[in-house]
Amino acid sequence: MTRLPRSAPVPLAATGLALASLAFLVEDVWLVKFSSWLIFGTLALSLAFIWGRGGIFSFGQNAFFGIGAYLYGIAAINLVHSTGETVTAFLIGGLGGALMALILGYFMFYGRLGDVYVAIITLAVTLVLFTVMAGTAGPQYRVGEARLGGYNGMTGIPPIVVGIPFQGDGIRLTPQTMYLFVVVMAVTLFAAVSRLSQQPFGRVVIAVRENELRTELLGYDIRRYKLLAFTFGGAIAGLAGSAFAAWGLFVNPAVFGLRQAALVVIWLLVGGQASLIGPFLGAALVEWISSTLAGGVGGDETPIILGITLVLVVLLLPHGLAGLLRLMWERLTRSTRRAPRVPEGKPGETSPASQKIPSAILTQLLQNARTDAATLEVRGLAKSFGGVQALDDVTLSFPARGIRCLIGPNGAGKSTFFNLLIGRFPPSRGRIYLEGRDITRLHPHRRAQQGIGIKLQVPSLYPGLSVRENVWLASFAVSRNVPDANRRTEEMLGGTGLAHRADELAANLSHGEQQWLEITMVLAAAPRVILLDEPSAGMTREETLRTADIVRGLGEVASVIVVEHDMEFVRHLGAPITMFHQGRIFVEGTLEELRRDQRVLDVYLGRERARRVAVE
Amino acid sequence: MEPDLVVRQAVTVLSTVAVLVIVSVGLAVIFGVMRIINLAHGEFLMLGAYSVLVISRAGAPLWAGLMVAPVAVGLIGLAVERLVIRFLYGRLIATMLATWGLSLVLVQLVVMIFGPATQGVPTPLGSLRVGGYRISEYSLALIGFAIGLLVATYSLFTRTRYGLLARAASQNPLMAQALGVNTGRTNAATFALGAALAGLAGAMLAPVVGVVPSMGQAFIARAFMTVIVGGPAVLTGMGSAAALLGGAESLVSQASTAFLGQAALLLLAVILLRIMPQGLSGSWGRRL
Repeated sequence: MTRLPRSAPVPLAATGLALASLAFLVEDVWLVKFSSWLIFGTLALSLAFIWGRGGIFSFGQNAFFGIGAYLYGIAAINLVHSTGETVTAFLIGGLGGALMALILGYFMFYGRLGDVYVAIITLAVTLVLFTVMAGTAGPQYRVGEARLGGYNGMTGIPPIVVGIPFQGDGIRLTPQTMYLFVVVMAVTLFAAVSRLSQQPFGRVVIAVRENELRTELLGYDIRRYKLLAFTFGGAIAGLAGSAFAAWGLFVNPAVFGLRQAALVVIWLLVGGQASLIGPFLGAALVEWISSTLAGGVGGDETPIILGITLVLVVLLLPHGLAGLLRLMWERLTRSTRRAPRVPEGKPGETSPASQKIPSAILTQLLQNARTDAATLEVRGLAKSFGGVQALDDVTLSFPARGIRCLIGPNGAGKSTFFNLLIGRFPPSRGRIYLEGRDITRLHPHRRAQQGIGIKLQVPSLYPGLSVRENVWLASFAVSRNVPDANRRTEEMLGGTGLAHRADELAANLSHGEQQWLEITMVLAAAPRVILLDEPSAGMTREETLRTADIVRGLGEVASVIVVEHDMEFVRHLGAPITMFHQGRIFVEGTLEELRRDQRVLDVYLGRERARRVAVE
Repeated sequence: MEPDLVVRQAVTVLSTVAVLVIVSVGLAVIFGVMRIINLAHGEFLMLGAYSVLVISRAGAPLWAGLMVAPVAVGLIGLAVERLVIRFLYGRLIATMLATWGLSLVLVQLVVMIFGPATQGVPTPLGSLRVGGYRISEYSLALIGFAIGLLVATYSLFTRTRYGLLARAASQNPLMAQALGVNTGRTNAATFALGAALAGLAGAMLAPVVGVVPSMGQAFIARAFMTVIVGGPAVLTGMGSAAALLGGAESLVSQASTAFLGQAALLLLAVILLRIMPQGLSGSWGRRL
């Protein structure tokens, strides 16, 4: 991530100039068409950002586009006489789109609705807006001088008039200058989106798409990131809507219709989402084809062609036309270039944990990042799911430094205990204190910020991002400072022996390496309390022992709580053990003490019940 | 309030709830059981209504339409599942986009065949006198239909071998396959069932709403909202959500306009989901 290719400003400027120069080479009829393609491309760009980058599928881009268009119309009609310009109205349209997205997004993302629900709610809102605007036919539906016009739409919208507010009449744009205005808008928004993708904000948005849970457990407020991304997408769509109304001098409820909503998705699917050029190519291609073949949108067969296109693209081209072209290009060039992505050799051999990593380095790294250790205490913690008492009256305290092992048979409540500590769900009763502060009701990301880090049982990474990007996201979560995060990322990569695989996608790592990467990420976030859920699962014996060494090192600077089934690993840690059984603390002591305890053996061997029956 | 007015109001509210249940049952089956977002649900409903239109134009009574519509639309659903949906299982957005494309095609085909104008099917049955008011017997019939549909679908999924297999195939397809369930066939049957229920819904509503190619759009948002607000218990939760949302819609539209009623439904749904993201039945611990 720190070495990602920057969005190149020179080609972008050159493309912008080339597009602009068309204004002086091509007839007005074509410029009007080009303008609309760029406007639609900008609309598709907004979807490319929130869906392609943020992973949020929204039908609502049309709603924001339409709101932008109507607001431009209303503002321009009312303001143009007094201010002498409509650029303010243009911006109001964008603001309206952003505001609508903000309100809608608040309910959806702070309600933590799933992707499906977001798609459906945005669809419902778009359809309702269609009904609302179609029902505003009467003369009573007017805002100032602007009549909404119901199904037939709002007419008499002024074009873009460029000027300084209240300084006399500005310049009314002609088709030629309007085209230039649209080019400037599209290029600016394109640059903004691609620049944002390079910024920490954009990186975290992509992280949310890749793995929400991990992002939250690193300390990012995913609700906020989703909301901001959604609002930004709404602003882009709103501005495109403004431009659309100024381009057509007219707007009707069809902008909220299903056909228009389908078009946006088709543009994007055809163009592909991988690059931000895709939406523009898709919009231009689809609009050009439909204007030459089907006589433009409005022809009888258009919805049928659109519908069939949508079905076929989904069935046959899951990555869009651009994806197909890229695949063909890769096929063509594969014979000449040889670039094995997955390295040869057995996974165990390349695993960094098997290399000699001095645990002292890790301990040092952790100590550098955070000097304040913290105690963790739980009192009377209980959790029931329906009728099942998963955890019952657990009181435990963990010192600021040191290791504690939690063991117990499956279903003993260990995972529930961890989930309560990190805040994935609230306890039914009881309190949790971090360094004396009550954190029982804090959101997971707030707890992560306070210094609780967890390695989950199943590796939870960003499979589609590189190892370096994975570690960077963890580092940035603490420092919130790019140079610091960059430095820490390289330190962690060097310290944990992952440096030679830094540019590999996390998905391409072996299982043991993924475990290791997750531990590295947890440490990069410099936690004060480290929760490890079966850290040695999937590791070879040698890796297991080395991991145990490292965990012992971590115990010198932080509070480490380890859930583990591997008794060899537990023995190697030499730490006090708490055994859970049926949601309660069953016994505490050293491994030796537990081994001598007949009751412990009974639980593990399932003899308890048999014996009770025998006694009776 | 006069007792006769109370009765009339109650019937109005209940029949709004009933309409919501009727249009949502098929969706609850396809979305709730199969986790597929079928955006062509509204168009399946519309096709059901057109089936009744064709049948009643031919001079047959309404009940004949009620028999034919689910069969016809169920067969269309089966074809859609075999030709498109089965390639897209597990790809949520993809199924959504494909069914969306399908809905655009279906609407336009119906426009080309039957024209874009609204057409009517005569309302059967007469009306009852309650005090100073008249109550349409068909709206009482709709309430009966809604209850019948819920009970029948619930029984189908809990009491029959097919119901068990269908739930197994959607909850854990690999395990179901390992146990010898032909999940491909079960899924096809469930999708066809959902389509048939949508067709039946369209047939039941044809006499009380205008039959028009775009009628699906009028219902789809409300149906989805009802199913989502219902939550994981797809049938009982959906029924409760219909009662709540339909009640709100009906009361608001009586006090103001039909449009504000729909807006109230949407607003209430969004607020409910903000408070209970898992839906009404989120903590009920049941799946039907």
